[in-house]
Amino acid sequence: MAIDRRDFLRSGSFALAAAVLEACDSRGPRSARKALAFAEGSNESVERSIFRHRAMDFAPEGARTAGMAFPSYFISARMPMWDERMRGPWALEVTGAVKRPLRLSLAELAKLPSVSQRVNHYCVEGWTAVAEWQGVRVSDLARLAGVGADAGYVDFESFDDGYHESWDLASAMHPQTLVAYAMDGHWLGGAHGAPARVHSPVKLGYKNTKYLTRVVFLPERTGGYWSDQGYEWFGGV
Amino acid sequence: MRARHHWVVRVTHWVNVVAFTVMVGSGLRIFNAYPAFARRGETFCCYPFEHQPIPANLTFGGWLGGARHWHFAMMWVLVLNGLVYLAFIYLHGEWRDLVPRRGDVRDSWEMAKFYLFRRKDHPRQGKHNALQKGAYFALPMLASLAVLTGLAIWKPVQLAPLTDLMGGYVWARYWHFLVMVALVALAVGHVFMVFAVDPYALRAMTTGGYDERLSPEARNARPFYHLLPRRPHGD
Repeated sequence: MAIDRRDFLRSGSFALAAAVLEACDSRGPRSARKALAFAEGSNESVERSIFRHRAMDFAPEGARTAGMAFPSYFISARMPMWDERMRGPWALEVTGAVKRPLRLSLAELAKLPSVSQRVNHYCVEGWTAVAEWQGVRVSDLARLAGVGADAGYVDFESFDDGYHESWDLASAMHPQTLVAYAMDGHWLGGAHGAPARVHSPVKLGYKNTKYLTRVVFLPERTGGYWSDQGYEWFGGV
Repeated sequence: MRARHHWVVRVTHWVNVVAFTVMVGSGLRIFNAYPAFARRGETFCCYPFEHQPIPANLTFGGWLGGARHWHFAMMWVLVLNGLVYLAFIYLHGEWRDLVPRRGDVRDSWEMAKFYLFRRKDHPRQGKHNALQKGAYFALPMLASLAVLTGLAIWKPVQLAPLTDLMGGYVWARYWHFLVMVALVALAVGHVFMVFAVDPYALRAMTTGGYDERLSPEARNARPFYHLLPRRPHGD
């Protein structure tokens, strides 16, 4: 049987389509993953180059405070609670590439100069929620601890089953990036990361470690709970 | 033979088909992570399907993180490809076939009348009929809006002035969605008309070849009418 050019092209294009479909699961062609990783890296460069400390977030004037409707989650089997009898009193450590490592009780943290800000919380899922957060600027903690010149990243660690997320230093030093201990005028509740958490409108929600224990300044990035599962490490807003 | 569409137009057209499809599919998968517009603790006035997810088989990317990677990678292809197209039609003159001119509204009305059998003969046209011109002119406009609203919800803090211009994050996200709906509607209408009125356009957009005797005007073609060339003695 002779195969003319038209038949050849037709069967060839069917074979090509089949090959493309085969290499494709619901996440798209496997061969594309390198390209996607490259794009993520390029996007991070763009995001870091446009990042400005002057760019600030403010909740819209008419926006309602989310209150009870503010979603929350944790990764432990049960809501993480700091058990003083087991672990001693909670304290926040500021450590790593710093000249004067800090260890602050909640009372000491609350005595530091604080800011209060009514801002959006941007979730990676696409929703936003408004709350009033009160806490200490991470940049103030960095100044107190004397961050070394080699620190380019910060890891925010928690007592929620190893949850942590590392940040670029510039985002951590943004004036709206807080170690927050109060939400809507009350001490932080158990669902929202008591006794203290990171909160900042400049990063997506998942970068904002709750149940905070340690702020570690580092020369290298150290991934994070969601970043290690394939969400963008940068997660900037 | 001179190609009906310059090869730059043909290549950017098909690149755009891929990029746009991936952008819509991954965008819908991202939307499904929170298929609503209301700020937490509020209700949203203007979307009747709050909290109803888009059917999964219309989405692309598999999971939220994957869809985001696709969306934020393909956006560069979409934008760069669009810029190449716009720069080309500006420099090469194709824009003259697309910009609205006086009389286009009346001509569009005449086309609609023809399609609805209120008029016997296909209106005279240039390269495109008036309805096509409107669609092909609107597409880059809407696509620009899609890019701007997209930037506004990608960087609502770093690009706060842009987001504020659109009424804030919640509204910018809504505009981004509505622009997508409009683009999909235009694309569906476009594909329908290609198959129902001018299937020869598929060849013209791929290899560039086109026989003017097979144009819809020459065939007096309506959707599903006169798909074959007119016989010499008329019908």
